[in-house]
Amino acid sequence: MVVVQRKELTLAERLYLPEVLRGLSLTFRKFFEKPITRQYPEEPLPTDEVTRGQPRLVVKDDGNIACVSCGMCEIACPAYAITIDGGETDRTIEREPKKFEIDMLRCILCGFCEEACPKDAIFMSNELELADYTRAGLVYDMEKLKRPKSALQRRIDYIYKLNNRWRSKP
Amino acid sequence: MDGFNIKDVPEVVLWIAKIAIIFGGLVGTAALMSLAERKVSAWMQYRHGPNRVGPFGLLQPLADGIKFIFKEELIPEGANKFLFRLAPALAAIPAMMTIAVIPIGTVVIADQVIPFSIAQIDLGIMYMLALGGLSVYGAILGGWASNSKYSLLGGLRASAQMISYELTLILSILVVVALSGSLDLNTIVDAQREAGLWNVFTPFGFLAFVLFTIASFAETNRHPFDFAECEPELVGGFHTEYSAMRFALFFLGEYCAMTVMACLNTTLFFGGPSVPFWPEAPWFLGILAFLVKAGFFLFLFIWVRWTLPRFRFDQLMRLGWKVALPIALVNLLVVGAWVAFTTKGS
Amino acid sequence: MTKIQINGREVEADPKQPLIRACHDHGGDVPMYCYHPGLTPVGSCRICQVEVAAAPGQPSRVVAACRTPVSEGMVVSTDTPKAHDTRRECLEFLLKNHPLDCPICDKAGECDLQDYSFNEGQGKGRSSEPRRKLEKRKSLGDVIVLDEERCILCSRCVRFFSDVTKKPQLTVEGLGSRSVINTFMDKPLEGNYQGNLADICPVGALTSKKFRFQARVWNLSKTLSTCGECSRGCSISVEALRAKEVKRLRPRYNAAVNQWWMCDTGRHAMAPITRPLAPEGAVLGGRLRGAAVRGYNGLELADESAATALAADMLAAHPGALLVVSPFATQEEATTALELARALKATPHFVSPAANNLKDDLLHTGDPCPNRRGLTELGFAPIEPAAALAALAKAPAAVLAGERVLEILGHEGLAKLPTKLRLVAYDVETSDIPALDVVFPVPTHVEKSGHWVNVDGHRGVLNVAVPPPAGVRRLDANLAQLARKLAATPVGS
Repeated sequence: MVVVQRKELTLAERLYLPEVLRGLSLTFRKFFEKPITRQYPEEPLPTDEVTRGQPRLVVKDDGNIACVSCGMCEIACPAYAITIDGGETDRTIEREPKKFEIDMLRCILCGFCEEACPKDAIFMSNELELADYTRAGLVYDMEKLKRPKSALQRRIDYIYKLNNRWRSKP
Repeated sequence: MDGFNIKDVPEVVLWIAKIAIIFGGLVGTAALMSLAERKVSAWMQYRHGPNRVGPFGLLQPLADGIKFIFKEELIPEGANKFLFRLAPALAAIPAMMTIAVIPIGTVVIADQVIPFSIAQIDLGIMYMLALGGLSVYGAILGGWASNSKYSLLGGLRASAQMISYELTLILSILVVVALSGSLDLNTIVDAQREAGLWNVFTPFGFLAFVLFTIASFAETNRHPFDFAECEPELVGGFHTEYSAMRFALFFLGEYCAMTVMACLNTTLFFGGPSVPFWPEAPWFLGILAFLVKAGFFLFLFIWVRWTLPRFRFDQLMRLGWKVALPIALVNLLVVGAWVAFTTKGS
Repeated sequence: MTKIQINGREVEADPKQPLIRACHDHGGDVPMYCYHPGLTPVGSCRICQVEVAAAPGQPSRVVAACRTPVSEGMVVSTDTPKAHDTRRECLEFLLKNHPLDCPICDKAGECDLQDYSFNEGQGKGRSSEPRRKLEKRKSLGDVIVLDEERCILCSRCVRFFSDVTKKPQLTVEGLGSRSVINTFMDKPLEGNYQGNLADICPVGALTSKKFRFQARVWNLSKTLSTCGECSRGCSISVEALRAKEVKRLRPRYNAAVNQWWMCDTGRHAMAPITRPLAPEGAVLGGRLRGAAVRGYNGLELADESAATALAADMLAAHPGALLVVSPFATQEEATTALELARALKATPHFVSPAANNLKDDLLHTGDPCPNRRGLTELGFAPIEPAAALAALAKAPAAVLAGERVLEILGHEGLAKLPTKLRLVAYDVETSDIPALDVVFPVPTHVEKSGHWVNVDGHRGVLNVAVPPPAGVRRLDANLAQLARKLAATPVGS
């Protein structure tokens, strides 16, 4: 059996009113301190290259999408969020995605797609916001996913750094 | 303003003007209080509080009001429809009506003095207590008519609590009545101004003020005595089943009651509209002084709410019956004896 | 039978087959690129090397298993370090010039080179020279595209034409590292069997134009089925993208019917099974979405049970109905149709269109009725489309049942039928035939299970590869329901 030893209250404490005043003075002092709340839409969350936001597709500097629709991310995705349909193109790399959809409601931002991609075509961006009025609107198609390479450069460099660290191991 | 004589203005016009200003001010204060409550609590907790609607969130009460009006009304299936609809009105109306006798000061227009209160009646305090006693019906009827166990428990607690503390409230007011010798609130204010000493600074008056303040918290169902609606145990208490504007009416009633209690506290113990150390202060300063004093008590209501945790029900009853009531009784007896002794010669 | 020892086990091997067959039959995992069980072994890739000793205790050497005959008492080891090392070195040479195309290569996922590299190969290349650059998109006719860089010169495709179709069309031209596969005189490939090249190519060098970049093969669900283009009934596997959309048809090994091969006609017969649905709420302009009956404004979608009741009433009121089923009807559907024929007191017929000119001496029979033999055995009489139309013009009522029966009878001919004919049809799609009173949707042959009997009496199985559209019921269930209703209201009552 647990016996809780309660503190013997002093007279002032038992009278309660002095304690009330002490409490009131405490809250009154806190009244003038600076709020610590983040005003979210105006003050967005800080992001950096380590932020694993929503996956985005790289558009190379020549304006072509880097993805060749090999399906590696699709099969690596543990949430089955990615759907790719490929097709032929006249470029040197003969294959490109005709349909590339990520169901953002399914995406768990794990980054497996980024890891699986053999073509440096999909990277986790620092975009975190996700809201829409319909479910269909949150199934992002290729146009919504495309980002110029420069926008993702920081993350690309970071991933290369990470991979090099693993590669250098014997 | 030359040639203007206040006697030329029909009395009805004056009444309507006063009712519009005071009543509108009361409802406006209640609306602002709903914002102030959230703002003050936020500041005390390192937060910002509502700041999205209008500058500094000032239009938040308006947005809330619009929301309440457009929300769906739900009436529980087993509820007593008539009483269910009546209860919110019963909670709000008495609280609003009691403001009528509070002397907020005087207005001087073209050297003519107009008392700035809706009604000046000799039995002002009796009127207030009679109407204040009605407000318990809102809670108990709302709780009973909802056909819900939580509402019923909340209503029962509210009635027990309000009846218990009404005694202390009345007894502490009687101290002031004994000191001033009148039931007219105007006379009470005048007595304090003439004496140059507010009741709160007299020994009996101070004790009565403390008891009155505690009892007024209990009467208005405010923290730390908000047993009628305590969320963790009664999921909202007597207004559990209410929604939309009827729900808002309960809160309007609560905030109006708070405002009236703050005004009454000001009137009884802090000299109403009298400005300290300046008996001849201009009339607008008097009104300002009243508003400042009442505003402080309103702030006190919020301040206490976000500082003190809720009592237990048995603690509330013990405090009411075994501590506050005996002290109030003894205080009244001693004041009575003292008044009888000092005025024996006259 | 010859007794040999494979990985320490005494086994019996067929002396007429190369050693690699004995290894495969008895659990030895020997890779192969140039070897194909249906083609003459040449031993050009050397990946199938195993360690062989003439007898226990004899010195062993590494040989190509596909070119080594089985001899009595030989000791074969497929798993020794020596065999593995030799194979790994072979693989390294094969990969020397093989491009890193796997992300865009159609073969990825079913590529032998990929699989064996994963199992046997090493992770890093040791070569610092650039890979050779060759033509990546060389069209070899209407069916096949050649990627010369990916080719490992196994010559399976060359041997396919000389061994299987007996008309050599491909050769290895050039010398050394500049050797490439090409047709004679750069002529495009011809013949009805080009599609098999994409199947037998062990890497992604020969790919099908129709299937190129259509799907990743691991997303394809494979269902055992039977080809419906001729009465041969080749065993095929129906491969559907995410089990919804049929993307390709491929032969599967069936020693009794088609071996490893199938013709391009059957391989590319996608139109009948990928027919688009009719617009929402419409009857015409695509596959039927549900039962339809003739109303004031032509054919209108209707409740299925109501349509069945209407069809039963109509057939009961007009005795002497004609029953014609489609040549695509399965045995199961035909059996139910016989029940209906008994209820109608009609002679069962099936439409038998004339033979086409696709007949060859390899697989195609030229007869477009996949279940001719089965239907004939069940007692259905073949009837030419023209004769059927003539009979329909005179009949008071008729039931036409089965996939594509209206199409085979001819929509123009059907449109000329007199409107007094009470016509009930079960088909995938219909045109605006004035005589048509009630029509029910049916699943295609990749959307149902059943059997066909081919020209040699071999039962070919059909399985559900893709689900039929919502609201489409099995034909045999529909026919049985109609037969039951008719049995309840006797004909002529």
